Amino acid sequence: MNNDVNLDRVWLGVAAEVWRRRPGPVERAAACLLRSPGLARALVTTPSLLLGWTVATVVAVAAGLAATLTTGTAYVPLVAPAVAGVGIAYAYGPGMDPAWELAGSMPVSDRMVLLVRALAVFGLNAVLGLVASAASGAVAALTFGWLVPMAAVCALALAAATLSRSANVGAAAGLAGWAMTVLGGRVATGSMVAAATASSLVVPYLLGAAACGVIAWYAARIPRRTS
Amino acid sequence: MNVELDDLTRRFGRTHAVDGVSLQAGPGVFGLLGPNGAGKTSLLRMMATVLPPTSGRMRLLGRDPADHAPRREIRRRLGYLPQTLGYYPGFTVVEFVEYFALLKEMPPGQVPRAVAAAVERVGLGEKARAKLRTLSGGMLRRVGIAQAIVNDPDLLLLDEPTAGLDPEQRMDFRALLRDVGQRATVVVSTHLVEDVGAVCDDVALINAGKIVFHGSPAELTARGEESGAAGDSALERGYSAVLAATRSAAAARS
Repeated sequence: MNNDVNLDRVWLGVAAEVWRRRPGPVERAAACLLRSPGLARALVTTPSLLLGWTVATVVAVAAGLAATLTTGTAYVPLVAPAVAGVGIAYAYGPGMDPAWELAGSMPVSDRMVLLVRALAVFGLNAVLGLVASAASGAVAALTFGWLVPMAAVCALALAAATLSRSANVGAAAGLAGWAMTVLGGRVATGSMVAAATASSLVVPYLLGAAACGVIAWYAARIPRRTS
Repeated sequence: MNVELDDLTRRFGRTHAVDGVSLQAGPGVFGLLGPNGAGKTSLLRMMATVLPPTSGRMRLLGRDPADHAPRREIRRRLGYLPQTLGYYPGFTVVEFVEYFALLKEMPPGQVPRAVAAAVERVGLGEKARAKLRTLSGGMLRRVGIAQAIVNDPDLLLLDEPTAGLDPEQRMDFRALLRDVGQRATVVVSTHLVEDVGAVCDDVALINAGKIVFHGSPAELTARGEESGAAGDSALERGYSAVLAATRSAAAARS
């Protein structure tokens, strides 16, 4: 009989089993899709995808739906881009994410973390907006038309947040940009939803989204200052 | 040599946070001493590949971190404890350490055991499943140390690691540093000279971004004895003597 049992090693094996965290189905699916358990873990810890934030997003979009149904004015296309822009701004960054400083020293690129989180927040908000928009019985143009402005608002918020290293600045830029566009559309056409439905704006939105996306991607490379 | 720095400089606008630093460090514990704002954190952040240098050359673990593939390999073998460690209040100790083990691209099958080992090593086994929001400052610091050592790093960079630790925890931590330093390079930035005296084989004193002393703790102590500078311990007197000499030389130049 071997009396030289290393109790420390045995305990570590036990502790590893007892303390082991079982990833949920979303994280497992993301790990397969992204081919990186670290990236998947970073994705499911996105501040603006956590339960409280998601509930708040659902409530905001539901309020837009209720306003649409009661007033007859399509508020969902106005609310969805604003909510998504704020969510994107708060997806990743200093002050929002404790991993931000450390992530800079990790082999999993923080730009990849930023990218997958931004895409996930955009995707969730797009699905919620589409469901609400469809439930409001809006015409097809209204159901899908706001996805392009939403992309532009999200890109603007992301670029501003990344450049300024501040989620608050990003959210404010996204909201202010969208508010000015909506008000400008109303002044020009008299319609509250012109900013989401005018086909003439699609190209400017796409160009704006592309430009802001490039700015955000570049700004993520800018060296971080010491605090 | 695991760390090779050659004329490394980091500027922020007109400020030279790090000014022409050249250093080499192999396995062992290397202490970075200096007053607040001397440039220790900027130097450590460059070594952690978080902050690129403005100029100069740097090789870590025999690789150039300026290139993507070598940088990624360095980061896999790196442990880093920043001066200010943010944390997810809703995470448990194990979840937090595991998160960084995954971000360090450790093989998923090895992660649970490595996490358990790191948590036990910093003496937090009893708090393994406690939420971070319930822990004291000293315990959170130990959680930060656990995430830094979870991948058994070849290069361990610690910025003010003993801040918030009580005397008993500091003794345990020094034992951990000695142990890790047997095979890895450990760079400890601190302004607590007693930590340096207790564990470091080699020490550099940095002031205004420049290395003003590089040698063993015994050599630093000798500087104090020669000058008769003020201080509660021999090492503190050496620290004060070097800083005083540097400042008077700078004043004479200007």
